[in-house]
Amino acid sequence: MKDYLVKDLMVPLSEYATVPEGSTLYEAVQALEKAQEEFDHTKYKHRAVLILDKNKHVKGKLSHIDAIRALEPKSDTDNGIKHLIQFGFSHEYVNNLRKKQRLQGAPLKDLCRKSYELKVEDFMQATAEGECIDHEATLDIAIHTLVLGNHLSLMVTKDKNIIGILRLSDVFAAVFHSMKECSV
Amino acid sequence: MKALENLFDRIVQRVNINLRELEVDVNPFIKELIPFGQLVKFYSFYGVTPHHPLDFQFRHSSLAGSYFLGKCRVMNSILYKSDVRGDELKKKDDVFRYAEYEIPMSEDERIEIEDSFLIKTLVHNFSHDPETLEKFFITNTVSTHYANIHGSPTDGSYLGPFATVDLTTMNDCVIGAFSYIQAGEIGHLDIPPGTVWVRSPGNFNFLYRYPQDKLANYIYFTKGKPPQGVFIDFVEDRKEAFQRVFESVNMEPSTSVPKSASLDRFAVIKPKTHISDNVLVAQRAYLQNSWMGKGANAQENCYIINSRLEGFNVTAHGAKIIEADLGQNVFVGFNSFLRGRPDCRLTIGKESVIMPHTIIDIKKPLSIPAGSLAWGLITDASDLAANSIPLKEFAAINGKFNKGELYFEGNGAVFTASFRDRIHHILEANGAFFDGKKNRGHAQKNQNISFNTIQPYPEGEQEGVYPTIIIRP
Repeated sequence: MKDYLVKDLMVPLSEYATVPEGSTLYEAVQALEKAQEEFDHTKYKHRAVLILDKNKHVKGKLSHIDAIRALEPKSDTDNGIKHLIQFGFSHEYVNNLRKKQRLQGAPLKDLCRKSYELKVEDFMQATAEGECIDHEATLDIAIHTLVLGNHLSLMVTKDKNIIGILRLSDVFAAVFHSMKECSV
Repeated sequence: MKALENLFDRIVQRVNINLRELEVDVNPFIKELIPFGQLVKFYSFYGVTPHHPLDFQFRHSSLAGSYFLGKCRVMNSILYKSDVRGDELKKKDDVFRYAEYEIPMSEDERIEIEDSFLIKTLVHNFSHDPETLEKFFITNTVSTHYANIHGSPTDGSYLGPFATVDLTTMNDCVIGAFSYIQAGEIGHLDIPPGTVWVRSPGNFNFLYRYPQDKLANYIYFTKGKPPQGVFIDFVEDRKEAFQRVFESVNMEPSTSVPKSASLDRFAVIKPKTHISDNVLVAQRAYLQNSWMGKGANAQENCYIINSRLEGFNVTAHGAKIIEADLGQNVFVGFNSFLRGRPDCRLTIGKESVIMPHTIIDIKKPLSIPAGSLAWGLITDASDLAANSIPLKEFAAINGKFNKGELYFEGNGAVFTASFRDRIHHILEANGAFFDGKKNRGHAQKNQNISFNTIQPYPEGEQEGVYPTIIIRP
């Protein structure tokens, strides 16, 4: 079996969908679409957009679920509802309030319009230490890190700078490829 | 003053260790809040009566301007202008009922304050924790201006200005400014400012949270600065009147006081105030041009100005009533701020309950119907509609209820009954139902209190620290 390294499997930052901080949700979705059109190395598509600060360093990641979550109806009351559990209210009570609020929420069309106003940094996921991996790390380490943190991708670092992204799909493809090469 | 500085550092360290999980450092909040010079300026005093056990122990502590009554022990602590009122502590052989248990008291209960810094804080009532019935402890804790620790054993916690913890055992918690917590037992919680939370597990859960931007106008507290806002301005404007009563050795009451009523000599009474039978006015209460009907009370840090209370009114610790008319049996909860104006008075109908930490601040006349439950921030009729409900309607709730920023789950009847019972208990304990022979309470028992003063080392390394003092019969 080939000894893959992370740098062999990662998608370089230059090929990944990125937007600068301050971009809107709409701009992030456009960037993702563009990257998918240009990137055809595998049948697996990009599933996230990276957010870059003014020094072009990766600040966070916007995944599909983050984008969808941003379109959910939100208000101060909704934020408050989240904290009711800490005060001993039942899950049934909290879910009921959420349901009630959703029914009272604005239609999707209006929320889509708001996607021009929503800023990516308000709903992206900031890069955490546990989801980074060195570019020289082996596939074993990468698998371990993905499984341990339940991640869909890892940020690949070189000298503390993020240089690419290692997706679960690429790791799976490498493992699957090795499996096929096994002579049983 | 080296000893005092070391004592302060020791307390801060102990509190921070307890709050490390919440990543709270209390030092920047309290470092220069009370200059050490202030701690030397004021004497401390304790009450002597035949009705309460005489057992005080003060060790390695600073007690500037603080008051003690009942069985208390203070060790390694700094208390600044705080009231430790042990007139409701349990006595030996009393039986405490908890769930299906009947627990006899093996000795008189004692308030124990250790490794704590209390600023203008009221400590009152008795421990409701069945695990520590003989000891109402406050340890490794910092509390700031006008906080209330009421029947709440507390360890490793921080209370912001005007915060109240009521009938709740608390470990390692931060209670934000103007929050009221009555929840039985809490631990490791960081409660934001302006949270009003009343919970009885299995029975009900009541939660209201103030909008932070609007609350900041009334109370705002940040690192390195003293508390600010309407509440602080209000009490500061009346500070001078208290200086006079604390500086005088003997004070003659400025109004006639019936034999069945009690007017504390450390209360301020301004002209044209009427005191009826069975009225209780506690120390640090401020009454001006007001009518106190039979059995009404004004507890510590209460201000009642240009108002009329018809009778059997409970004005809980720290509540303020200005330009208002209250019917009989109106309950005004802890630290509530009710402000009418001379040309637009506030009227509250009889048997209404104003929840603890309610703000009613109006610029047009407002009338709250009899039998109402009101909470939160009310500035006009539309706020009143959003933040009140007839008590009867509330009692009918069984399950889920949400109105504006109020969240309620459980049994409304149990909630209203528990308030009704508590109001009755407070009136009873205060002596509101005294008939000349039976039902004596604080109003009758606290009439003749002797006050003795104690003072700290005036200079040197121990400046500001009191020598060890043990006072027993």
